Amino acid sequence: MAIQASLSTDCDELIIAIDGRFDFSSHQDFRSSYESLKVRPARYRVDLEGTTYLDSSALGMLLLLRDHAGGSSARIEIVNCNPEVRKILNISNFEQLFEIT
Amino acid sequence: MDSQQPLRILIADDTDSDRLILESIVRREGHVPVSVADGRQAVEAFLEQRPDLVLMDALMPVMDGFEAAELIKARAGDELVPIIFLTSLSDTESLVRCLEAGGDDFISKPYNRVILQAKIKAFMRMRDMHRVVQQQRDQISLHNRQLLQEQEVAKKVFDNIAHTGCLDAPNVKYRLSPLAIFNGDVIVAAIRPSGSMMVLLGDFTGHGLPAAVGAMPLANCFYGMVKKGFAMVDILREINQKLKQTLPLGVFCCATMVELNFNSHRARIWNGGLPDCVLYRQRDGSLQPFRSSHLPLGILDDSAFKDDCLHVDMALGDKIYLWSDGIIEARNKSGEMFGEERLLEIFREANDGEAIFHRILDAVDTYCGGERNDDLSLIELTMTEQASVVSPREEPREHRYSGLQEWALSLRLEPSTLRLFDPLPLLLSILVEVPGLSSYSGRLYTLLAELYTNALEHGVLQLDSSLKGTSAGFAEYYRQRQQRLAELAAGHVDIRLRHKLLGNGGELTIIVEDSGPGFDYLQLRPLCPGADQFSGRGLGLIRQLSHAVEYRGNGSEVEVVFQWDAND
Amino acid sequence: MSDAVDENTLTMLKEVMEDDFGKLIDAYLDDCSRKMPQLPLLLESRDFEQLRRMAHSLKGASSNFGAHALTELCLQIELAAKAGEETGLEALVRAAGAEQQRVADALAAHR
Repeated sequence: MAIQASLSTDCDELIIAIDGRFDFSSHQDFRSSYESLKVRPARYRVDLEGTTYLDSSALGMLLLLRDHAGGSSARIEIVNCNPEVRKILNISNFEQLFEIT
Repeated sequence: MDSQQPLRILIADDTDSDRLILESIVRREGHVPVSVADGRQAVEAFLEQRPDLVLMDALMPVMDGFEAAELIKARAGDELVPIIFLTSLSDTESLVRCLEAGGDDFISKPYNRVILQAKIKAFMRMRDMHRVVQQQRDQISLHNRQLLQEQEVAKKVFDNIAHTGCLDAPNVKYRLSPLAIFNGDVIVAAIRPSGSMMVLLGDFTGHGLPAAVGAMPLANCFYGMVKKGFAMVDILREINQKLKQTLPLGVFCCATMVELNFNSHRARIWNGGLPDCVLYRQRDGSLQPFRSSHLPLGILDDSAFKDDCLHVDMALGDKIYLWSDGIIEARNKSGEMFGEERLLEIFREANDGEAIFHRILDAVDTYCGGERNDDLSLIELTMTEQASVVSPREEPREHRYSGLQEWALSLRLEPSTLRLFDPLPLLLSILVEVPGLSSYSGRLYTLLAELYTNALEHGVLQLDSSLKGTSAGFAEYYRQRQQRLAELAAGHVDIRLRHKLLGNGGELTIIVEDSGPGFDYLQLRPLCPGADQFSGRGLGLIRQLSHAVEYRGNGSEVEVVFQWDAND
Repeated sequence: MSDAVDENTLTMLKEVMEDDFGKLIDAYLDDCSRKMPQLPLLLESRDFEQLRRMAHSLKGASSNFGAHALTELCLQIELAAKAGEETGLEALVRAAGAEQQRVADALAAHR
């Protein structure tokens, strides 16, 4: 529903917070939150604290972000997942690709 | 009473000739005289005959006119019974006695017919006016009683709604005026299935009924959605939209909403139109204000509504304070306002966070001259450990048998619906009505989303998921999805849900069938694609989240079984 | 014509009372014939309070008939009795008795 992106003061980290449902309808907003940046941050932090639900297209979008951030060398942290969201990420073995806390 | 109607006029005089003259004058004016010869008889006649006017001699045997007048006035109660003293007394002292005894006027002897007529008329006008005023007073007091009764009923209804929440949780302190609903203040608080606490303080514009009407939809919406696990932004949007639809122009709700996450020790705050709320840090006593950065609820259309929240890290024991403007605008005897500065001073002087809440209330009460201020709402929220609030999964067991139990439903979505309507929130809102199932809403959402997406995108719309192999393809995929949906003329998706009780929980069967050509499900890859592939993850998720998956026919029908146990 | 009662006042009274005028005069004269003989007795027994009341009542009733002289005499008795001034009271009471007789005669002519 609502996606908010903010750059840390040293421009090193981009924080993307997703409120509500994270599904294909967030696709445009999610993508532009990192593609529209003029700088290239070293780290990304995806804050799912406000995220109620996600589906497989959301997982796809997280992978697109990872690809954009350098694939296997990307440093992306997924934080503040509620237990249900965490379960979906676990099922998909995303802890192998992202740092999930 | 009509002044033209004949009046009953009591004449009390011990001199026969005087009485005869008065009787004659009264009769000639068309009224009815009732004559007596002393004060005691006058009182008795008054009680029996209830005259409209009394002509009373001052000096009489047995009981004099003064005493009789006093008794009559006392017995008349609210009724205005004019007493005119008949007197040849001329000294000031005696005239004063007449007035003190309750006399309304004098007539002196010898009697003048013209003057007596004029006085009778004047007193009747006065009496009629008195009656009208009394009737109006009675009517007003009746209306007022009715209004108070209605308010009492409304308050009870509201209390029933408001108290389903968690305002009595140990980390919440609040004060709300006993008739808050009628000064437009509302406090609601509830725990989400995930365990975080949501609190909203609202202040509707205006007073009385107009301020009260909005509180009901707000509270209903809030409690319904928090219980079902909706996000703060969704709840804010829904309340905003509901109020915008319901309330007349000019009535809206200034509000602050706070979500406390007891696991991450974080809070998110949305403030639309209320005074700054503050975060008090226990460690160093510092204060962090959160200014209103939004328009109040009920003003903007959903498309213009801004739902961005402020996030803040808290330590255990840190407190957030919310108040409506009643506290800042509380006035002392000379009309000066309490003001924000005095309020903040209380925080600065505090060396122990525990006492702040009561100090604020005491300070405001003292400022207002010791009177309880009824227009004052204050909330204190303390960051604490999850366990000390409530365990979020306890609730369903209590209500094990109170919601949807065994049931089935079938829903067919035709093109016009497929184009514009997202059925997932509707289905989920039904599922969470099953006691105990709401704690699985995250998993159920993903399950339903995958099944529906597959049926719509691959079945009805015939989209090729291999497009999603690249970032550009991903975008292209959704562009095509949009286009095909817009052009969709035929096709449907059937969704059938069935729930039955099983052990300590239940079993939910989901069948999704689409009008597409199906696919060769026997060739399905056994499990997940490569972990970093952008798509093809849906089926794996479905298998992992459910207990059984079965494709049928040509593959356009799939049945999924989800079992749950409240003791898990 | 006697000057014991005021003719204008009587005319007005007749108008008000119509057929009952005779009855009114009887009532007044009855009242007087009961009260006037009391005055000397009350004076003799020095019951000034009762004397004052009696004079007050006669004063009011007489004023309604325009018996100005009698009204004035009754007022004097009332005031003197209230003040307890014995001197002159006896003469006033006697004068009132005589004046009342004149009033009675004048009214009898009007019946």
